Amino acid sequence: MSVILRISLIIALLAYFTIVVLFLRSRRLDLKYSLLWIFFGVVMLLMIAFPQLINSITSKLGVVDEVNGVFAIVIFSLLIILMSITAIVSKMNDDIKTLTQKCSFYEERIRQLENDDKRV
Amino acid sequence: MLKKIIIMPAYNEQDAIMATAIETTKSCPDFDILIINDCSQDNTIEEIKKTSCKYLNLPINLGIGGAVQTGLIYAYQNGYDIAVQVDGDGQHPPKFVHELIQPIIDDEADFVIGSRFITEDGFQSSGARRIGIKILSILIRIVCSQKVLDVTSGFRAANRKAIQVLMKDYSQDYPEPDAIITLKRNKMRIKEIPVAMEERQGGISSINGLRNIYYMVKVSTSIIISRFKKEV
Repeated sequence: MSVILRISLIIALLAYFTIVVLFLRSRRLDLKYSLLWIFFGVVMLLMIAFPQLINSITSKLGVVDEVNGVFAIVIFSLLIILMSITAIVSKMNDDIKTLTQKCSFYEERIRQLENDDKRV
Repeated sequence: MLKKIIIMPAYNEQDAIMATAIETTKSCPDFDILIINDCSQDNTIEEIKKTSCKYLNLPINLGIGGAVQTGLIYAYQNGYDIAVQVDGDGQHPPKFVHELIQPIIDDEADFVIGSRFITEDGFQSSGARRIGIKILSILIRIVCSQKVLDVTSGFRAANRKAIQVLMKDYSQDYPEPDAIITLKRNKMRIKEIPVAMEERQGGISSINGLRNIYYMVKVSTSIIISRFKKEV
């Protein structure tokens, strides 16, 4: 990995961490959901700090150029993050469904109680 | 005396819901009728209020599956022994409800599906849709070795055991074929009986047009995946 590439990557990574931290500070991002982002940031940092590490891994996997290895790892990380987001959305969808159903039960119960009141 | 309930999901059914509710009340006086308004955009809720039926009002549109599941949970929590699903658009003649629950009363089945295709009486739906149903039927037969001809029929009855299974796992927008597999995996006995259905009186089918293909892909995938799902 060339020195220029490493410097560019470090700048990009700094921007990345700054955004994550700013979002966390302003509570726009829940820590629970940003752990994966931080984790992959650290992975990137390790790749830049120890290029020989990524070099040995990528050559063993049959990746020709180590830069391609970096891309592959980034894309894979993104897929994992997207998958986790879809899982979160699915869970929320389920939660909303349960809430909606509960709401309708309570509304019906209130109606019943109001009717009972009128009769008394 | 068994406690019985009719679950009637309704989404934008302002033209049909009143007539369906009245006819059902007349044909099934021994049933409580629960209409579930799935956040309709039209005057469905006003029409429902004019009837004497119980009703639930969903503040967010959940889709047919979410609406029916709401009814199933209600049925379970309020101690009903049998729940029958009848569509709010008048497709399912309520005179068949008693035939539908007979196998449950005789303890021959836990879940009964009213099928258009056994005697082929009544409204049969379009050619393309029948082919789709046939494919799903074969797929279900392969996946869980259960023979059901009318897999998308929404005219069905469940006993308390089946209600308990379905209220825990019921897909939101393509529930009918899925439910068969869920039930089968939980060792419920499923039976299909012949009924004659009407052409829908109002509203729009939840399965139509280009969405047919989307529906087929989704349901087929869901059926195949369900083979690997954990039991509820």
